[in-house]
Amino acid sequence: MRLPIFFSKKRGERRTGSPAWGSFGEGFFYASLLAAGLFVGGLMLTGVAVPEWRINNHFTEVDGRLVGKGLARRTTTDLFGIRRQSWRPAVLLEFRADEEPVRAWHTGGWGEATTDRTLALRQLDGWRLGQSIRCWYDPERIETVVLKRGYSWWLWLLTLLLPGALVVFGATGLAQAASAWGRSEERQAAEIGQLLSPLVRSSPDETGFPTVPASADLMNSPGTIQRFRLPTESPEAWSLLGAGLFALLWNAVVIVLAVAAGFDLAGGRTDWWLFGLLAPFGLIGLAAIGIFLRRLLLATAIGPTHLEISDHPLRPGGTYGVHLSQGGAVSFRRLELVLELEEQATFRQGTDVRTEKQVVWRELMCCWDRLEPVPGRPFEATVQFKVPAQAMHSFRSLHNAVGWRLVLRGVPERWPAFLRVFPLVIIPAGPDAAAAVVRQPPLREVVS
Amino acid sequence: MTERATAGEVSASATLPRVTVSFASDQSEYAPGDMLETSYRVAAIDPATITAVERSVVWYTEGKGEEDFGVVFFDRLLADSSGTMSDARNSAATADWPSGGFGIRLPSSPLSYEGLIVKIRWCVRVRLFFSSGRDFVSEHVFFLGDIPIARPLRRAVS
Repeated sequence: MRLPIFFSKKRGERRTGSPAWGSFGEGFFYASLLAAGLFVGGLMLTGVAVPEWRINNHFTEVDGRLVGKGLARRTTTDLFGIRRQSWRPAVLLEFRADEEPVRAWHTGGWGEATTDRTLALRQLDGWRLGQSIRCWYDPERIETVVLKRGYSWWLWLLTLLLPGALVVFGATGLAQAASAWGRSEERQAAEIGQLLSPLVRSSPDETGFPTVPASADLMNSPGTIQRFRLPTESPEAWSLLGAGLFALLWNAVVIVLAVAAGFDLAGGRTDWWLFGLLAPFGLIGLAAIGIFLRRLLLATAIGPTHLEISDHPLRPGGTYGVHLSQGGAVSFRRLELVLELEEQATFRQGTDVRTEKQVVWRELMCCWDRLEPVPGRPFEATVQFKVPAQAMHSFRSLHNAVGWRLVLRGVPERWPAFLRVFPLVIIPAGPDAAAAVVRQPPLREVVS
Repeated sequence: MTERATAGEVSASATLPRVTVSFASDQSEYAPGDMLETSYRVAAIDPATITAVERSVVWYTEGKGEEDFGVVFFDRLLADSSGTMSDARNSAATADWPSGGFGIRLPSSPLSYEGLIVKIRWCVRVRLFFSSGRDFVSEHVFFLGDIPIARPLRRAVS
């Protein structure tokens, strides 16, 4: 008997492992999850949900009388042979069921059993012998009686959520494994592509350019000098948001600690550990506020950057005009406008999903030195640039991307350097690429 | 039938089939929108042991990221009970089962790309399915477009 191949060469000519074994293993894993979900769900339904539902819908309401009270003792032996006793309050109820007098003990409604006998006894103090009590008994087992009805929503939530997640995860995985049974990855991809093709709508410019990202979002804002105003992706905006959130959350913790320390102090107690913790936390909180304010000041002082472009999407070899407008009242030591090509790869590392970016091509389009602000007027300039004739087109798939962008890098006087990023879409070159639209041939299965 | 299945298992385990793919273009380089005419020959295997042949044209990514994958052409040919294949639409393929050929017009994108952390490759895949339940895939890379290889940046802009 030949053992299944677990590892095989990734590329080139090779015999694959056993697809049947692979699908079987995957299916078995998901079937196990599904079975576990159903089993746990069944347990929770029969152990929690159904009894609670029966109490609320099947138990008979009756007026009873408290005729006795005591403690229910439970003795357990642990792994080391030590015996432990726990106590639970119990009340003896007398009521009539089907005209017959019934006496039944009730031990529920006090929470967990306690090892403290005195505490358990104290819980019985509120109960008076002879007092009337409304109770509900099980018509099928008359000795089962409860003093309270209602639903524990968190139990129902657990009953639904935990096994539900397992069932959904297992069932979808099992369905996926079943659909992949005996099918090659090409066949699966072709079938999925056919299923999804009516749902995927591209903008007219991208029709015929599979995997080229849509540029509609980059063309919906008209410019004042050039045709389109490009949207910006400012890394500073994200760092400002991050610094603000950090300062907010950190200082919330500091305030909670400070309030606790204040109450201690008012009560005449001094918790030195708390005070010792509060001092460095407070300093970090102040520093976080300082960093946030500095970034906020930087973002507002430098002013907005607008970039307009003469056409979009771009084509390799094409020449385009760009109009730059930089607002604010800051002097710049240098401003640079750069065209960049950046690769982006998303991958799993352990349980983390990481994204790595790398700029692989960069060309300085224009730079300006020693810029002084003119009151009430932004700095404006128009430049021309040419996309390289053999430029790679923009590309985006599920985990990988190749993207073009215009980057404005500024070095203000007395402020740190900043970046403003303006994404671009470049479509593949061609005499008229739109004419070369290729429809995918239909999936065929030829059976003789 | 039993004999055929046994023979298939022996052939698949003892010797690997040999699949050669020839492109009409000698350099296997194509421009977007070109016709990709290709033929493939399957050798060193008993044709009677092959139950199906899948021919596909796919692109895939390589590099640091997870692999992405797209199919632009897919075709599955099934053998009949006599171990041969007859199909009027695929006369070229039927005459020489399991060898054959096909042609498709290539799309405009994605173009073949040799980046630093992202690479895009195109290939023709021929996948043979044996009566034993196993399969064998042969992959033949070709190039779409002529994007130059990306080089690491050497200097900063300013």
